[in-house]
Amino acid sequence: MASETLATRERRGGLLGWFRADTFEGVRRQRAILGYLFLLPAFIGLVTFVVGPMFVSFGLSFYRWNIFKPPDPIGIANFQRLLTDSRLPGIYGNTMLLVVGTVVITQVLAIALALGVTQLRSRKLAYFLRTAWFLPVLMSGAAVGVTLSYLFQREFGPINYYLGILGIDRIPWMTSASTVMYTIIITAVWKNLGFIFVIYLGAVVSLPQEILDAADVDGAHGWRRLWTVTLPLISPIMLFATVINVIGAMQIFDEPQIMTRGGPGDGSRTAVMYMYEVAFKEQEFGYGSAIAVTLFIAILIVTGIQFLLSKRWVFYG
Amino acid sequence: MAGTTTTAVQERHTVNPLDRPWGRWIQTAFLIFIGLLTLMPLLWVISTSFRTLRDSFTVPPVWIHFDFDFGNYQSVFDTIPFLNMLRNSFAYAGGAVLGGAVTSALAGYAFARLQFRGRDVLFWVVLSTMMVPGQMTIIPVYILMGVKYLNLVNTLWSLIIPSIFTAFGIFLLRQYFRQVPGDYEESALIDGANQWQIFRRIYLPLAAPGIAILSILTFNSRWNDYFTPLVFINSQQAMPITMGIVELQGEWSTGSIAVVFAGIVLSVIPVIVVYIFGQRYLLEGLMMGGIKG
Amino acid sequence: MTHKLSRRDMLKGTAAGAVGLVAGLTPAMAPAQDAIQIRWSQNEERWTPVVNNFNEMADTPVEIEFLSITGIDHEEVASKILSLLAAGQPLDAGYAATEATVLYAGQGVAMSLTDRVKDNADELAEYFSDMAPILPEVMMWEGDLYQLPDGCNAPNMYFNLNVLELAGLEVPPADWTKDDFHEYAVATTNAGGQETFGYAWTNRLWGSWGPWYFVNDSNFLTEERAPGGEWLWETFYMDNDTVAHRGGGWRWPEPSANHPNTVEALEYVTSLVAEGISPGIEMGGGSSLQGLYVTDKLAMTPAGGFWAGGLINAGMEKGTFDVQFWPQWKSQRHQLGVGGNWIFTGSPNPDVMWEILKFSVKREQMLSLKDRYRPLMRTTPVRRSMASDESYEPSGPANWHVFYDTLDRQDTGPIPAPPEANAVTNIHTRFTGLAVSGEMSPQEAMDQAQAELVALFARTRG
Repeated sequence: MASETLATRERRGGLLGWFRADTFEGVRRQRAILGYLFLLPAFIGLVTFVVGPMFVSFGLSFYRWNIFKPPDPIGIANFQRLLTDSRLPGIYGNTMLLVVGTVVITQVLAIALALGVTQLRSRKLAYFLRTAWFLPVLMSGAAVGVTLSYLFQREFGPINYYLGILGIDRIPWMTSASTVMYTIIITAVWKNLGFIFVIYLGAVVSLPQEILDAADVDGAHGWRRLWTVTLPLISPIMLFATVINVIGAMQIFDEPQIMTRGGPGDGSRTAVMYMYEVAFKEQEFGYGSAIAVTLFIAILIVTGIQFLLSKRWVFYG
Repeated sequence: MAGTTTTAVQERHTVNPLDRPWGRWIQTAFLIFIGLLTLMPLLWVISTSFRTLRDSFTVPPVWIHFDFDFGNYQSVFDTIPFLNMLRNSFAYAGGAVLGGAVTSALAGYAFARLQFRGRDVLFWVVLSTMMVPGQMTIIPVYILMGVKYLNLVNTLWSLIIPSIFTAFGIFLLRQYFRQVPGDYEESALIDGANQWQIFRRIYLPLAAPGIAILSILTFNSRWNDYFTPLVFINSQQAMPITMGIVELQGEWSTGSIAVVFAGIVLSVIPVIVVYIFGQRYLLEGLMMGGIKG
Repeated sequence: MTHKLSRRDMLKGTAAGAVGLVAGLTPAMAPAQDAIQIRWSQNEERWTPVVNNFNEMADTPVEIEFLSITGIDHEEVASKILSLLAAGQPLDAGYAATEATVLYAGQGVAMSLTDRVKDNADELAEYFSDMAPILPEVMMWEGDLYQLPDGCNAPNMYFNLNVLELAGLEVPPADWTKDDFHEYAVATTNAGGQETFGYAWTNRLWGSWGPWYFVNDSNFLTEERAPGGEWLWETFYMDNDTVAHRGGGWRWPEPSANHPNTVEALEYVTSLVAEGISPGIEMGGGSSLQGLYVTDKLAMTPAGGFWAGGLINAGMEKGTFDVQFWPQWKSQRHQLGVGGNWIFTGSPNPDVMWEILKFSVKREQMLSLKDRYRPLMRTTPVRRSMASDESYEPSGPANWHVFYDTLDRQDTGPIPAPPEANAVTNIHTRFTGLAVSGEMSPQEAMDQAQAELVALFARTRG
């Protein structure tokens, strides 16, 4: 099959002629068919395990269902309840703060680390740092939650101890509604930095050296080269990294669930945590689904905006 | 190794505004500082796992000590069927990596390099599946896995099969395939390669770093998955290690946190090994395929 | 071409992965299928010895498929059972604590055991006579019994004797008061020049600041006894003159979060945080609380019998901690939670399941549960005869009798756990958190909690 050439294919006619590789139309059709074939396995799987269940869940948002009794259709009552739910604005505020804080810090740091580590003279140090930065990613969210809740402990935690040496008063990391969200942001950045870094590392290391060389010859150095050459070249991956980062941050669950369970008050409760609590703990699966719908739409809008804006800054080679 | 040459090449051509002796020092110091921040909590976990709980809350914190107590590690093995759980985690994460790489590479290539009607709409459908919190779809998927349909509940297949299909992988590889300059394809066509060969011989190898990254990240996320097994797995025989760690915490948190830390250390070692192996492969692959092409 | 090497590497990796995968999958691949199966949501390791014993004496052995319940708190256990129910998975039996007992009973998911208990009265007489009446009473709902009690915990005061010693104090007498408590708390804060805290607790429903509103003669919800239950009292507790006032389980008709006494209790614990007697109050499972306690940085905390074994397990030495009743305030009323097994209404084999349950509450079977009462006491036994010098020998505390005596106190009652217990717990912890972290005054917090509870009850009780 591998030795087929244009010449052998040319001899075939009939139905296969429609796909003939020596005509522009034939190649186009071949590529279209191949496209559908390539998509098929993933598509069947995603429809079965995500899209279908997603529609089931969204359908549930028009019902009242506590698991024990059959679902009871109640029209849009769950959505009306969303409008009067006094907890929702605060919870979405937390979610937004978490997303903005986490994504901005993580992206800037991850790009800086990916560029920085490839410029290190010592290969051993580079190797060590690449591994060290990735270590938090290797721990499960639950393990991170347990560990950091010890480190952030107000009275005897090591973090406040070292801040104390610097003359900073003990910070109530997890026990004050006004600081707890920053603790969650620090945790999320700490946990996910290595993840985003690795994605950028792949992009930075595979930058075509010729183009970088050419830029140098043209006199683009340092910051200028970064802005005019390096970043545009890795921009497809930047789009990926920010989109993934945003979606991930909007769905953070394990760490705050273990560290604070959303408290104090709703101080560290995110939209997913609220949805989980309503659906699984309070057995209001219909209302939980309605919250999930809002979250889905919110993520869809934010991601859509990212893609729209990306037309202005992402550069495909 | 290939890594040396590239680093050297890049250094020659990189003129950083901080590229004066002190600038370089600041840069390096910053990188090391971040490394310490990411390293410290894990060091603390390791350090605590070798102590009895009574010594765990010492102020000032003790990072290195010499009277190692392996009792916590012994407790891990006594409390949960650790090796069996480890094997389950390997099967879950390994299966997800293998299956996920295939479906994602195919679909990612289709979205990046092939033109067909409805492509953008389909891409958004795929992308939108990432936006659904797993907590919301788990009940319908669980019903699907149940006796009435697939009858896979309480098997590792119930974990592996849904995780083979990921929008994340498709999206990641799409971006990698798009990053490859288009002229490769034209020259291949002129050489007489067919469409499958163009994918298999040219693009797939070029996307190897992407596949390596995807594999590392997939392995890692499945290894650390707690929520899906919590719902799908009912017997200790099929439990992955994440559930074991929670079991170590005990009812009402009466388990020793030092034992939990020992469990965390043990469970993180395999993923570190995978990462170190994967990282080497990743960088070598990048040097060979990606740049010289 | 240079690609070949990288591709070969990848194939090598793939092959290694495939081998590992096949090796890993084989044993756990197919679901175990066999004759008569019982599906039981319980802790597999702990209960396997009892099931084995049952099969030795049973005519037709059973094969139990345990639906393991991995979780730290009761709410996680409940989530798993809810998932099973939602998916329509057949289930025979499950475990529930007070937090969920009434929920399953009220929703018709759990089967009433009343008739079966009556039919087996002779056989069960010994079990009930060995048990404080409050325990089956808490397992009742509207006059019917839904679970056979299996373990229980009532928050008592735990003392770290090392910290008490720094302050020159000893364990107080049983009739100590809130004022005594306050003196203790002040004296043990920064005791002997070390950084210590007098008192700490974890923000949840059971054992949180609940003991304080109980002794302040109040509650988070109003409570009353449901009528009924005479069948139980007359069958098993004929000679017991303390059951006259008992009924057929609890009801919680109205919220009472902003009752002046409840608010007063919250004001008190909040003031302890403000004065530095208590550290910041954390949400969650209580593991860092245990850490503080074990490392001698905390003098007093609420916990139940489960902590005795737990502290030893965590590295504390026997004799370095002790317990006492909760201090008196307006009353000295204690709260408790009870756990047990219930049979699913849709169970395909309720008769077999009942036989297993009945068998499992025999004294020797309870003792054979793995890591439950031996080698260390990991919960308070429901059988009075199992709370003994002998059973507390490995762990202490010296005052171990307080655990069971709390159950015998006539006024001891359950934590507020109506069918809406999960939502109530959420409101409880949320507004408690806001008050103790100083975001709201206790009065404001409880007023808002009351408003949310009223709305909740309006929604659920229509």
